[in-house]
Amino acid sequence: MKVSGNATLNAPPTRVWAALNDPAVLVRTIPGCERLEEVEPSAYRMTVTAGVASIKGSYAGDVRLTDQEEPHAFVLKASGAGGPGTVSADVKVRLADGGDGTTVLSYDADAIVGGMIGGVGQRILTGVAKKTAAEFFQAVDDVLTGAAVAAAPPPAALAPAGERGVYTAPPVGRPAVIGGDFIKGAVFGAAVALLGALVGGWAARRR
Amino acid sequence: MTETLHATRLVVNGVAHTLHVPARRLLADALRHDLGLTGTHLGCEHGVCGACTVLVDGEPMRSCLMFAVSADGAEITTTEGCRAPDGGLGPVQQAFTECHGLQCGFCTPGFVTTITAYLRENPLPTEAEAREAIGGNLCRCTGYQNIVKSVLRAAELVAPEAAVAPQAGGGLSEGPR
Amino acid sequence: MSGRLFGEPIARREDPRLVSGAGRYLDDLGPDALAAAFVRCPHAHARVVDIDVTDALDVDGLVALYTYEDLAADDATRVAEPLPLLIPHPALTEPRTGYPLVKDVAKHVGEPIVMVVATDRYVAEDVCERIRVEYEFLPPVVGVDAARDAARAVHDDVPDNVAAHLVQEVGDARAAIAAAPHTLELDLEIERSASMPMEGKGVYARWDAADASLRVYSSTQTTTSVRFALAAKLNIPVDRIEVIAPDVGGGFGVKIVHPWPEEVLVPWAAIRLGREVKWVEDRREHFISSAHERGQLQHIRVGFDDDGRLLGLDVEFWHDNGAYTPYGIIIPIITSTQLLGPYKPGAYRVEFHSLYTNTVIVTPYRGAGRPQAAFAMERTIDAIAANLRLDRAEVRERNFIQPHEMPYDHQLTFQDGRPLIYDSGDFPASLEKLKKLVDWEGFPAYRDAARAEGRRIGIGLACYVEGTGVGPYEGAHIRVETSGKVVVSTGLTTQGQGHETVFAQIAADELGVPLDAVSVTTGDTRRFKYAVGTFASRAAVMSGNAVALTARKVRAKALRIAADALEVDAGDLEIADGTVRVKGHPPGAAGGEIPLRTVAVLSNPLRYAFDEESKRATQFAVGDASGPPVAEDDEPGLEATDYYSPMQATFANGMHAAIVETDPETAEITILRYCVVHDCGPMINPRIVEGQIHGGVAQGVGGALYERIVYDENGQLLNASYMDFLMPYASEVPTIETDHLETPSPLNPLGIKGLGEAGVIPGSAVLASAIEDAEGIRITRMPISPSDLHHLRLDRARQEHDSTAERGAAE
Repeated sequence: MKVSGNATLNAPPTRVWAALNDPAVLVRTIPGCERLEEVEPSAYRMTVTAGVASIKGSYAGDVRLTDQEEPHAFVLKASGAGGPGTVSADVKVRLADGGDGTTVLSYDADAIVGGMIGGVGQRILTGVAKKTAAEFFQAVDDVLTGAAVAAAPPPAALAPAGERGVYTAPPVGRPAVIGGDFIKGAVFGAAVALLGALVGGWAARRR
Repeated sequence: MTETLHATRLVVNGVAHTLHVPARRLLADALRHDLGLTGTHLGCEHGVCGACTVLVDGEPMRSCLMFAVSADGAEITTTEGCRAPDGGLGPVQQAFTECHGLQCGFCTPGFVTTITAYLRENPLPTEAEAREAIGGNLCRCTGYQNIVKSVLRAAELVAPEAAVAPQAGGGLSEGPR
Repeated sequence: MSGRLFGEPIARREDPRLVSGAGRYLDDLGPDALAAAFVRCPHAHARVVDIDVTDALDVDGLVALYTYEDLAADDATRVAEPLPLLIPHPALTEPRTGYPLVKDVAKHVGEPIVMVVATDRYVAEDVCERIRVEYEFLPPVVGVDAARDAARAVHDDVPDNVAAHLVQEVGDARAAIAAAPHTLELDLEIERSASMPMEGKGVYARWDAADASLRVYSSTQTTTSVRFALAAKLNIPVDRIEVIAPDVGGGFGVKIVHPWPEEVLVPWAAIRLGREVKWVEDRREHFISSAHERGQLQHIRVGFDDDGRLLGLDVEFWHDNGAYTPYGIIIPIITSTQLLGPYKPGAYRVEFHSLYTNTVIVTPYRGAGRPQAAFAMERTIDAIAANLRLDRAEVRERNFIQPHEMPYDHQLTFQDGRPLIYDSGDFPASLEKLKKLVDWEGFPAYRDAARAEGRRIGIGLACYVEGTGVGPYEGAHIRVETSGKVVVSTGLTTQGQGHETVFAQIAADELGVPLDAVSVTTGDTRRFKYAVGTFASRAAVMSGNAVALTARKVRAKALRIAADALEVDAGDLEIADGTVRVKGHPPGAAGGEIPLRTVAVLSNPLRYAFDEESKRATQFAVGDASGPPVAEDDEPGLEATDYYSPMQATFANGMHAAIVETDPETAEITILRYCVVHDCGPMINPRIVEGQIHGGVAQGVGGALYERIVYDENGQLLNASYMDFLMPYASEVPTIETDHLETPSPLNPLGIKGLGEAGVIPGSAVLASAIEDAEGIRITRMPISPSDLHHLRLDRARQEHDSTAERGAAE
């Protein structure tokens, strides 16, 4: 499935680039992201929480940033698997100078969605993907403009000596995902396609 | 956006239930799906066919036109409640089987409750009165002839000591004028 | 044999559960299933430009949402292909069917565009409401006139809107008419109506992933055909699908169409989601996305002699088939062939054009083209009688095919692809009975007396012939269990016709068991896999005969085994009350009888007993070592399967008479009496036969006086509810007086004919005849309401005032 879109961020491309490559930023802007562990440079293992109230689950996925042409473009490769399905996605991200200190970010995602999550229908997947993307970019924008809380403590404070960086989201109540109870699960399928988070949250099993 | 649920007390066929239902839940759906009493049927959901008729405090009502919450505290009788105390067929139901008053059976629950209430008001209907009594319920299968007979037979079964043999139909009858 | 059951008005065995609320209709099943709902096109002809689901995604409880692109993306199935053309025909040169979800262009109000699956129906409809579809409007074609004129096309590649064009002729009708001493021309119209069963359609599907098997419940008239269609569309082996019709709240033809889009999509979604899914339509959906029927424009030319005998009949009619043709051209073919009724037409020519319009599809509704045919012919006969000032019954009698002329070959092809040859019938005798029942001869005096009181009454008459029991076949399976129970299965379905009773009567009779020992299952592919379906008044003829043939096989086997056990000749044995007994032997006497259930035990040589009785069949108790336990040409078990496949249809007939009163002021039309004489050969259960007739008559009254489906010029259905589509209540249906005749069919073992549709066929014809008789105004269009009659009166008054008398106006 293909999903494309764009967003305008209120910072020049170099700062946007830095933000998108900063795990401390990612962990607080990716919807539902709880934990980001750097496995090697530009490769992360991510833990994401889906759901709300009584329906919560943690899911893990792998994200790798490649083909980096700072500060204009990169490719994000992601894959994840969970009970309800699998996703693997290649997302091309381009940053262009929008003038007046803004960046026009455009993304093109090519995702293969398999298993049960593939059964909900393309409109839900693409629709939720776009919504999640919009949420993510808004959150990044908030960080860039200072509207969000200041950056998390430096990695060293979290990771024991010798371990790679592990970043956790600040414990503020943020809505983990958008959408209805059931769709909260489906959202993650879309989120993964876009950001490389793991597909999960199949709250479908709710009775 | 989850809907607010309202505690609703219904006494259905003599058994008290407390349901927690959204305000917009139809009484018919509450009976059928929340209580599993699937004998009441939905033929149109706009109050014309009468298949959904149940007795609410003894009065025939279209359960597709009522919200369950608006029946809070009411005593409801469905077709299942028109059975005999031992679980066998009640007199109206028995009359229908004797008179071939049903074919597909989908409209029948509405007739059974309607007739049950009617015979309480008018235990000895004439044939014309019987036809009028069922004049608000649609049936697509039977052409009503045997349903009219069922009303008259039900009158006999409900109050055998009071009923007399119904007039036979046919001949050069004039019909309603 | 103790008291034959065939012919007895036995109370129905299905009634106790249905009447006490224990029926299991489609929506009573699957309480835990997800619910489906559809966004349906609100326009008659529109391209779907965009589908915006953004707002719908927020709804709590949404599970899935599908459009055509999801179907197209599914390589594993064939759901993206058009729905099948069920009945191809060489004359159907431009067939078209729709897709399960609209692909690019919707062609009638009601076509499904988006399928929503949610936790319950309320939520699903919430989702549907929030889906915004953008349309590009295309010009719609509505009504036969617009279709004929073809200024616009329903399908781009069918510019003249003609799906089919067929001419059938016998002799040279036009020459015969040209040479005839008298000719008449009639232009007639019948408006659209619809089956309107009290229960709409519904589908409930369960996929068992561990087993890779699918179970589908559908409120359908043909489970075996749905099964084949789903296997093809979903790419699942046939033996991994089972289709079951639960209790069905009426069909009347609309549920024979398959697979509906929903019948494909609900199982498809169930498989994709790994969850049970159920869809039940509401009444508006039924109006805009099921099927309608009856709409035709007819032009008739007839030539006749001084005695009113038909010399030539030339009929041309235009059939509105809606936006698609999944059921082919069966209805106009039936109209073409059944139009002849009980008459000899002289030379006959019938031509029809089946036309596309941007309206709901047109598929059979009880009668399936016969009501239109009866209307055409009976109005013609009445017109002839009026023209020659002859008695209308007399003219009919003069044109009847006589009993000694049976079998009568019309030299046409019927809807089953077989010759139109009437097998039996005694039309003069039927008419005699009807005239007596309604007191035809006494009517003029009755009318005069009424006139003296200022009342306006009239009498009408209409005859029809109905081809019933069409093939290709039906089958039955019967097994006698070791408990003595007799289990009967047949593949066709039931929608209230009492099959559980009538087929049990036949089986009990043939086998010699009590009725209570017999149970009957219909419409369940788990129990019987080869069948066609319930339609065209065929169930009794087809499955009835199959049950009889199968029971005879079982009986023969039982006698053979019993003869062995009792050491007598099979010819000396009979079966009564479930016991095989030597003829003439006193019941209960030792050595002369054996219960059928014991024969069932003996029919299956056992190694392992499973109860006391079964010990009798174990290897040390029984068996002749000179041969194998199961003979080469034999099978274990007291059971058999057999099929009945007819050479052609068998022709029932009937005649109706009605007395109506019209109000001189308000033009209100009241039916004072309605009389029916029908002939379906021997009746299995007279009570059920009567019930079928009553129901049909009610629909005939509805179609004559009340029921019309109304589309405006934009293709909007104006009366898509019971408030505006008027079906008769008890006050509209008169007391129905019936009499019957039995001319057996020589074509099948039981000698029976069908009658499921009989009651409705001449409804419009007989009431038009009666109203015309009361008013002296030619009635050419049905249904007719009081305001229609009022306007006809005004027209007539104007004509009389103009002093230009119209030819053909009866006075």
